[in-house]
Amino acid sequence: MSLRALWIISQEKGENVSIRFSRRFSTVELRAKNLAGSSYVAVPEESIFLHFLLTELGLADPHKSYVALRDDCLHRHRSPALELHVDGPGKGVLWPVLAILQGPLILACLPLVDAPAEPRPPLASLLSVSQGLTLLAGLQTFLLSSGSKPDSEGLASRLAMLPSVLLQVCPLGTPLDVPQLGAPATSTVPPPAGNQKQPAWKTGLHRGRAVVNVALTEMVRSMQYGNQSKQDLWDVYGTVTCKCEVEGVLPNVTVTLALPPNGSPLQDILVHPCVTSLDSSILTASSVDNCDGSAFSGPYKFPFSPPLEPFRLCSYTSQVPVPPILGFYQLKEEESQLHLSVTLKLHESVKNSFEYCEAHLPFFNRDQMGNVDVKVSSGQLEISKEKNLLIWVLGQKFPKTREVTMEGKISFSGPVPGPTDPLCTKLTAYIKMYFKVPDVTLSGCCVDQHSVQIYSSAKPRIVTSRELQSKEYFIWNSTGAAPVSSGHMIL
Amino acid sequence: MAANWAERIVAFSRSPSVFLSGTTPEAFLDELLRELRDDRAAYSVKVLLLCPLCEYPALLCPSDSVGEETALELMSVFLHCPPKFMQFRCQLLLALTSVLLCSSCLSSYSSASQEFLDLLLQIVQDTSDLHANGSPSLRATACDCLRELEACCPGLLSQRLELLCGLWQRETSRLHQAFAGLHMLALRNAVYLLSHETSAGVDDLKALLGGNVAWEAEQNSGPLSKKNPAVLSPLILGPMGTVPTLQTGQDCKELRSVLSSLLEESYLLTPLCQAAVLHRLTEVVAMVPGVPPAIFRAQLLRLFGTSEVCLLHSTLLMKSAFTDSLFSVENEAFILKRLLMLSQNPLVSTPEKLFYMDCILHFPENQPISCCDDEALPVLLTPRLAAVLLPTMFNDSATMLARLNLLSLVYLEEGEQGEGEEGGGLAYLYDHLMSLLSVVENQGSREMVVTFFRAAFLFLFHFCHVERYSNSLAEKLSTLYMQHTQLATHLINLADRTQERLGESGWAVRLLRTLQRGVTEAPLAQLTLQALSCHLKILARAAEEAEICQQRTLDFLFSIIRSSSLLCASGNWRLGNSVLDVCQRLLMHPSLDSLLIPLANILQHLTRYYGDTDIQDHARFYYTLLTTLSQEKLAAVLGQGATEGGCPATQHSLSSIVAESEGLTRVLTIHRTHEPVLRLVEVDSPTARQETRRRESEVKAERESCTALDAYRAQFDDRGFASEITLCYRLSHAESCHPRFDQLFSIRLHFDNTDDHYGELSDISVPCAFREHPAPTVRLRLKPRRPYPTTLHSSAIFTSQDGLSWHTVLPDIHVAFQQLFMPLPAPPACGKRFNLSVFEGLWAEICRGTEERVLDDCATSLFCSQMEDSALEALADKHFLPYLVSDPSDEDEHKVLFFLPPQSHVLLKVRRGSDAVHVHIATDSCQLLPHITSFLLKITSSQQDIYS
Repeated sequence: MSLRALWIISQEKGENVSIRFSRRFSTVELRAKNLAGSSYVAVPEESIFLHFLLTELGLADPHKSYVALRDDCLHRHRSPALELHVDGPGKGVLWPVLAILQGPLILACLPLVDAPAEPRPPLASLLSVSQGLTLLAGLQTFLLSSGSKPDSEGLASRLAMLPSVLLQVCPLGTPLDVPQLGAPATSTVPPPAGNQKQPAWKTGLHRGRAVVNVALTEMVRSMQYGNQSKQDLWDVYGTVTCKCEVEGVLPNVTVTLALPPNGSPLQDILVHPCVTSLDSSILTASSVDNCDGSAFSGPYKFPFSPPLEPFRLCSYTSQVPVPPILGFYQLKEEESQLHLSVTLKLHESVKNSFEYCEAHLPFFNRDQMGNVDVKVSSGQLEISKEKNLLIWVLGQKFPKTREVTMEGKISFSGPVPGPTDPLCTKLTAYIKMYFKVPDVTLSGCCVDQHSVQIYSSAKPRIVTSRELQSKEYFIWNSTGAAPVSSGHMIL
Repeated sequence: MAANWAERIVAFSRSPSVFLSGTTPEAFLDELLRELRDDRAAYSVKVLLLCPLCEYPALLCPSDSVGEETALELMSVFLHCPPKFMQFRCQLLLALTSVLLCSSCLSSYSSASQEFLDLLLQIVQDTSDLHANGSPSLRATACDCLRELEACCPGLLSQRLELLCGLWQRETSRLHQAFAGLHMLALRNAVYLLSHETSAGVDDLKALLGGNVAWEAEQNSGPLSKKNPAVLSPLILGPMGTVPTLQTGQDCKELRSVLSSLLEESYLLTPLCQAAVLHRLTEVVAMVPGVPPAIFRAQLLRLFGTSEVCLLHSTLLMKSAFTDSLFSVENEAFILKRLLMLSQNPLVSTPEKLFYMDCILHFPENQPISCCDDEALPVLLTPRLAAVLLPTMFNDSATMLARLNLLSLVYLEEGEQGEGEEGGGLAYLYDHLMSLLSVVENQGSREMVVTFFRAAFLFLFHFCHVERYSNSLAEKLSTLYMQHTQLATHLINLADRTQERLGESGWAVRLLRTLQRGVTEAPLAQLTLQALSCHLKILARAAEEAEICQQRTLDFLFSIIRSSSLLCASGNWRLGNSVLDVCQRLLMHPSLDSLLIPLANILQHLTRYYGDTDIQDHARFYYTLLTTLSQEKLAAVLGQGATEGGCPATQHSLSSIVAESEGLTRVLTIHRTHEPVLRLVEVDSPTARQETRRRESEVKAERESCTALDAYRAQFDDRGFASEITLCYRLSHAESCHPRFDQLFSIRLHFDNTDDHYGELSDISVPCAFREHPAPTVRLRLKPRRPYPTTLHSSAIFTSQDGLSWHTVLPDIHVAFQQLFMPLPAPPACGKRFNLSVFEGLWAEICRGTEERVLDDCATSLFCSQMEDSALEALADKHFLPYLVSDPSDEDEHKVLFFLPPQSHVLLKVRRGSDAVHVHIATDSCQLLPHITSFLLKITSSQQDIYS
């Protein structure tokens, strides 16, 4: 349940690679040596490790089309744990190396295999693996603040904090916690003398008026083909984020999610570890086997004791009957021109009040756009600077009819070829929708302000909000071949 | 200096081996400790200095004595450090833990480790250590140190369970987590150890928990008693593992109550600690049948619903340990569905999804059917459930391959049971593969290409027997190749791997045959040189297959060399070689008889018309072979080069006749050995030094007119005088090297300096070295610029018995300070008196120089050591005798003179004082003083060890 070493590497597509931070845990290494016996492979020095890691990740020698060590079709490139084939004096296989790639960073660690090395134990039997993944994800959030493009200065200052951060969260290779983002809240006080133990995940205690903020965000994904042979798909997943400022060492808060009377049950519920207990009926509905209609449909009660910082209380998925925007996209190749026609319909159940709504129409594997003769029934049309993308800004509202159209012709006669994409060839093309609707959820799920219960003396202030956002919302051209996004529906 | 330290520490951790080649571990350790003791150094720098000790303790403290000393030093630094430097003090505890564990002081029960253990126990009980939230806490760090000590030396704290339990129960601050982890581990190890005691039972368990001495007495031999080396090996859980059990009957209330309260409070721990504690609890409950697994039941729902990967994982491990005694069939189905859901949940990160898929393939079933550790599908996983993991074009590479693998297993199993639904699923997978192929066709990225070939291999691995798909795939690949000839290497790799793994299916041959047909049927008019080079690679690979008819290849070769514009006239050596490569494989083809005439024609054509002489020659040679040798002989002659592949084991000669084959290049290149083959072992040889003396130039010492010192000095007018040190080594074989290296010839040793204190060393040739013969002697002549200890890199090039040339790196040579000592290079005819006069002269000069500060480099010093008379005499005999200038019978005072080339002297007057041995030191090169001191320390301490 420990890690032998930890590395943080920055890179740009396999180039300008450097190890920004590394830590070896010598005592864990000692245990690794004792456990593995003759099959022990020592952790190589930084540069050697880096070379093998990049090879295994397929990032080494980015300009060579085939490198035997890197590209062999036999490689098991489908496990979260990499095997590094170390040669030279300390020959052997270094396993299981965990690596997370995000943006410019590679975070890697080597968990201890605390089982006999031969035959190789299954990954699933090593608790150190899931712990390593948790620590890496925590470090990732700490270093990148969950965005993938940090400024280099911010990253450098976070990296400089790592030694003291690790002193607290992983002093000797056994991860105890993930790094906390930022300093603890200012209004914290030392724990009062009492019998109640302070949770280890609570960095301090709040003093002051109780404020509870519950925000529900739903993401809607969709793949619409406008084609008899392919079924359109859409689904929704939601997250409930809380920020609770409540006094007490272990205060009790309960948040209840409610569905409208005929709402389909929330599925795949995952909860934050601060949730104290769960009713088994909450967990029964699953997207894996769309079970019968008799399933439990709320209310969903989540009793918990909140940490100080904002956290994701729970997440769910939901099968909703209709997509919020139903689209139809048709392209026809006419001589050197592309004739396009688009219809977008906003479903009547969705509130016609957007924060923003845009439709993006990219064109790949063609020259830049030349003459654009396109008319829209509502909203404005923009052409990207690179002249390969049409942006249809629909603004805050659909017209009363709840339907908008686009019709016209585009010639691709620009002097320079536009971007390429291996998927979108010939008439394979899509519209990607970007929208956000405040105060709406598609599943109908909501957190009633009055349903939030806090067992404390002072009267709390409770703020709840909800919103709907698009995510991977595609409308494919019905005259082209479109890729299948879920085999589940096909079979 | 501070900046300098930061850079040095970075350089060290980047590559300790490179860093230490510029100094020695001892020297670096000394420097670190000196700086740590230095009150003027900033604590921010001192924190950095501890990094090497934390990360590479074994490198810096190679022996337990060094470890012990270092630990004592660090402990005194700790005790003198003001409490406000919290981070430094915490880091110091970590460094101490690392040093003591890695230098095996702890397992040998050294006094430093005892002291440290006491210190840690004292810190964790010190409740005055109040700290602000968020800052590092000394108690928390000390707890983790104890936990690590217990993890490395299981049982170390087994007699302090009561103390640990009390600390954990009383603590209300966040620190209770550290105590919970520590207590849990110590408890688990104690129960584990107890379960190995033959007669252990419930009373021992009670005694253990109550800190009762009864059991302790038995354990007096220490927690790390050598009786039970298996303690270190971990406990494996699961239906396949064997779990030692402790028979307690139903009566173990004490343990049960401790476990229950740990479990109840597990909610208060961070997910990472919670997972670890739950896992330890699982182990303990598995070992003690008296405690029912049902104590976990109250926690299960909370764990089933968690979004934390490590918490769900610990639940799976729990399931693996307790199977149906804790998890019902409904639970099992539920957990499987959760795993499937998590494997494709949009809010789960890719590595976690991959991990969950791995968990599905190693699902801990209540009633496992097979006991192999290989990937296997859980019985409850139906194709309908698994369909949520069908791969799509929107998956990233790793996820897509993992899904493809899992679903292939699903449909494979289903296919065996009947053709029913199988068509749909398998057809989907094949369609998916074709979608990937079309991405590759449309200039997909390099990553997509590699992913496609991996997916193709996976598909074939499972469904090669379904001919309608595998044949179609071969056709599609051939079409793909004709459009994208740069994929030749990928295709050859795929053919190689499928042949290795699925040889009997013959798919690789089918693919190669299809490719051969595609290549040979394509119109030549549009052929580019680049495409041709790829085609030749494919044809060469196809020519290796006995079952593929080679007539088409011959026709193709003939037409390309005849269309002179393309090939022959260009005289492209590389392409010519590729053609020859195909020809060479054809020469070995079993159907050679039928290929004879067309192949001869091709070779003859090449001989005549190819625009490169080398190719012509090779072609001519092949032609001769073809027309004169029988097929068997031909195969035998040519087969040699080809069959060896990657294993360089058999005989080779430069007369190899395979053009541009691996064999030829192998003989011509210098190979690198993977392990060290040779090493240089120091020989303590007085002859070496004598020889140096003999080489000294003759000086006509005009004793009458000059003082001894002047006469001595006059010798140095000759610039080469006494400027070299000769060190003797034996060149011997490394302990475990390949038998191929038993006899080595033409060895050339090369040396590189790691600093600029020495002049360049010339290479040394050794005619041969045989393992069974005495090792040859090698004399290394060092030309010091400054006589400091140094390290030399050395390497050797040699020829092995099979005619290959090799390059090998020898272990570094460390030249110690005392190896640089030489006796006074006095003129040959001078006697003892001369040496003594030079000594006195030099001594007076140095003392005057230091007093009057006229001679900058001079220095004097005093070194004291407690030592008995006999020890002193033994010391003098052992280390000083060759350099003694005073009368050996004079026991009151030894005068010792070390000469260090090129022109440094170290003079010692060793006297016995009332309380100690005093060594007065004088030198004309003050930079040598630290080296002298460490030399004296070393020899006196080793002498004390002998006599103590």
